[in-house]
Parts: sequence; C-alpha cells; structure tokens
Amino acid sequence: MRAARDERARVRGAQRGSASDLEALFRMHWPRALRAAYLVTHDAQAAEDIAQESFLAAIRALDTFDRRRPFGPWLHRIVVNRAIDWSRARRLRSEVELGELVPASEEQPELADETLAALARLAPEHRAVVVMRYLLEFTPGEIAEALDLPRGTVNSRLRRGLDTLAEEL
Amino acid sequence: MKRELERVEIPDEHGARERAWAVLSSAFAKRTPASRRSLHWRPALALAVVLALVAAAFSSPGKGVVDRIRKTVGIEHAAPALFSLPSPGKLLVRTDAGVWVVQRNGSRRFLGGYREASWSPFGRFLVAARTNELAAIEPNGDVRWTLARPGVRLPSWGGTRTDTQIAYLSGRSLRVVAGDGTGDRVGCARRVARVAPAWQPGAPRVLAVAAHSGSVRVYSVDTCRLLWHSKPGPVPTKLEWSSDGHRLLVLAPPGLRVYDARGRLLAEDRPPNPARDADATFVGPENYGVVGIRVRGGQSNIFAPRTLFHARGSLRQVTASPDGRWLLITWPTANQWIFVRADGKRIRAISNASSQFESGTFPKVEGWAR
Repeated sequence: MRAARDERARVRGAQRGSASDLEALFRMHWPRALRAAYLVTHDAQAAEDIAQESFLAAIRALDTFDRRRPFGPWLHRIVVNRAIDWSRARRLRSEVELGELVPASEEQPELADETLAALARLAPEHRAVVVMRYLLEFTPGEIAEALDLPRGTVNSRLRRGLDTLAEEL
Repeated sequence: MKRELERVEIPDEHGARERAWAVLSSAFAKRTPASRRSLHWRPALALAVVLALVAAAFSSPGKGVVDRIRKTVGIEHAAPALFSLPSPGKLLVRTDAGVWVVQRNGSRRFLGGYREASWSPFGRFLVAARTNELAAIEPNGDVRWTLARPGVRLPSWGGTRTDTQIAYLSGRSLRVVAGDGTGDRVGCARRVARVAPAWQPGAPRVLAVAAHSGSVRVYSVDTCRLLWHSKPGPVPTKLEWSSDGHRLLVLAPPGLRVYDARGRLLAEDRPPNPARDADATFVGPENYGVVGIRVRGGQSNIFAPRTLFHARGSLRQVTASPDGRWLLITWPTANQWIFVRADGKRIRAISNASSQFESGTFPKVEGWAR
C-alpha cells in the first residue's frame, strides 16, 4: 500500500515537472522493464531501445496519465507488447529477406545462460506470458487483458512454458 | 522461476540504464505539458450528443484507442511491408501514379492513372476520376463503363443495393449519374467547393455538398429541394455521414462541426490558432464518436475529442474500417501506416508506406470498403 502511495505521489510530482520524481520512477521500474524486454527479445540492444522508447512514451503521455492506475504495470505492459512486436517484425524480416545476407546484428545470439537458452525454445509470445507471470507478477487474468488473449490460452502457454523450461533446466 | 529469470545476466545492463536516463531526463526537460484547453465545445451543444462523444472518448473503445495510439509514438519496429489488412474489407489508395486496391491478404492491384476514387456503397465497384473521364471499375481492374466529361473531380457513390447514384464535380459544377452510367445530369448546385459530396445513408438520394461560402447544403437530388443548409464559414475539406445517416461530420479547417440529419449543429471544435484539425472520422460501435487529428507546428495530436498525445511531424488521415473495429492512421513524417483496433487491444505499424505503392509521394487512403 505504501509503495503504491509512494508511486502515485511520484507520478503526481513528475506530472508537475519534478525531475527527481521522474528519476525515482525510472530507478523503480527501469530494471524490470529492461529485463522483461531482454527475456522476450533475447537481444540486448533491442531490449534497451524498447525499454527506453516505452519510458519516452510514458513521459509523452504523463499529462493524460490517470494517476489512479498503477504506473509499473502500465509501463511493463507497453514494454512487453513492444517486445513481442519487435520479435514478430524480426521473424517477418527473416522471411521476406530469405536468401539475402543476414546482418550480424540479426543473427541469433549465443545464449550462454541456461535459463535464457531454455526460454529461447519458446516462441516470443509464449516467453512473454512466462515473463509477465513470473518476473512482472501479473495474474493470468491481467496477462490475458494486456495481451488480448483468452484466459485459457494464457494458462496453456504458461503450462507449456513451464514444461519446456523444466525439461531444459 | 522468478529467481531464475532475475539472475539472467543482461549485457551492459549498467550502461543501458545510464544511457536511458540521459535520454529520458533530456526529453523530460524539453517536455511541454499538453494543453488542456485545446478544444472548445460550444456551451449550447445538444447535451445528448456531447455525452455520446465524450463517452466515446473516455470509455472503451475510445480510451482503449488512446492507450494503444500512445504506444505507436516513435515506433521503430514496424512491419517492413503491408502483409495483410487487420480487418475484412479492402482499401482504396491513391498515389501520384494513380489508384490501387489492396485486398485483405495484402495483395495490391494498380487500377490506372486516376486522380481520385471512391467505393460504391457495398464495395463491389469503385468510381474513379481522370481529368476528363469518370469510370466505374471492378476491384479486379475491369472497367464497367466510362463517361467523358471535362474536369472530373471527387466522385462519390451512394445509395442502396438496387438504386445507386454517383455525384461528382465537373469543373465547379455538381453532376449526378446513375450507378450504371445512365442519366448523367447537372446536379442541384452550380458552383460548389472542391470537396467530395456525401450521400446520406438510409435516405433516398439525399446529398450533402459544400458551397463556396463554406455553407453545407443538403439536397434531395431528385427534386433539387434544399433540405437544410448551414451558415457560411471556413470551406469544408471533408463531409462524412455516420453509417446510419443520423449525423454529418463537416471538417472545415481549422475546426470541425457535427450536425444532425435535420441540420442542427450538435458539436463544434474550434482549435486555438495556429492549430488545425487535419482529418476526422466517425468511429465506435454506435458510430457517433469522433476521432480526429490536430496538427500544430511540427507536432500532431490524436483527439477523441480532447487532446490525447503528441506525435512528431504530421499525422494526416484517419480512416475507420467497414466494421468499425479498426482505425488506419497515416503518418507521413515516419512514412508509416498504423492500424489500431478500436478497442485498443491490438496495433500494427507498417513502415515504408510510400514504397509499398511504388510512389514518390505518401499514399492517400481513399476508402476502406467491405
């Protein structure tokens, strides 16, 4: 409760132009935003861009942001949707550019981390569900709403994701 | 699981945070809080319509649209091509080369060097204009008939399944021809403004046109009886009826107005100088909500009806899908098209809009039909 009140106060302050309140919001939410984007995209540069753009979008929308809503979930929802869009776009690019040289930045990275490697076995949309549930702590209902999926689909993706990760880990 | 996800190492995590903060703090310092006085709704508006418009803006789908559109600002990872439309129907697009039809599956067909076009009421045909020719064409490119007239502009096709009429301008005169190309005649107005006439859905042969004075005039074209007219003012650039024919949207930069079917002014937007409303359309399940684009200097806003977000450069057009579930917003500055589902839960951005149509100019959407 106290954290929520503190966050609302920070949002109010940022709306009034307080850079220190904005910085507090940034320090509070940046790590998870970046991590969520990275776990979905598996591309550090893209994750940085996505998290940064999401914060920029949040700044642009500050004046109309409804302070009764929690800031963190709203921001993370933007991040995850953008990360999914980015992953889909990369997949589309690789289809249409088949036969062309793939730039180095678009090659699949070597995944040294075994959790990351296990996640890579899942489609980005499935990764997103796992990340939202276990990193960002959305409920299945909130995930369904944020990603516009039926609740059953969210549950089945979670189950399949956990099974795959359990096999790999 | 949470622990596993949290211990994944992110390359250069610290550097990313510092770079991001540098960018964000700089953007925040330059930020100008949005004006909350940018729309001036006349106090004498009919209350019911104001409520309908406001409800469309602040409740789903209106608010959802807002949320999703915000996310598109600065989008850098748009799909590289228009692979498909998000909703049933087909698009009519105009470029400097001519007119194209885009099918649901993304296939595009060039119909020829026409300068304007519009769909028939049920999307089975389209009417297109060249300098001295009006042509009725099937979406596959087959020409059904042509009519030679001087200075043909801005055709508009309306009516029922069994009785359709096409209104168009020839020079500055209004003309009307039956959907089968017969009975071409002078319309009810001799000198009209250069804006496409609009047929009223659900009303037999009732047409809205704009006069030079900026007055909107609504005629029964069979008898040329003037049903109602508005006061003179800025010359309209767009006339659009709601799908049930109960509302008429008049875009007349710098502002816009909404009338009921009997000509009563229901709502008016008068943006403060130098802002102007660049486009607007009816949207939403009951089709009385208005989504518009406002341009001010180097920035654009989407409003529905109040100002909701800023985008760099110009947003040019907003077009609703035939089922009212999607909006297509065109963004020349980013050379992108943005599809936003009306409930705000889906978004698709398409990059390189010009090159999709082998055009040197940014394509204009002429209509989205069933």
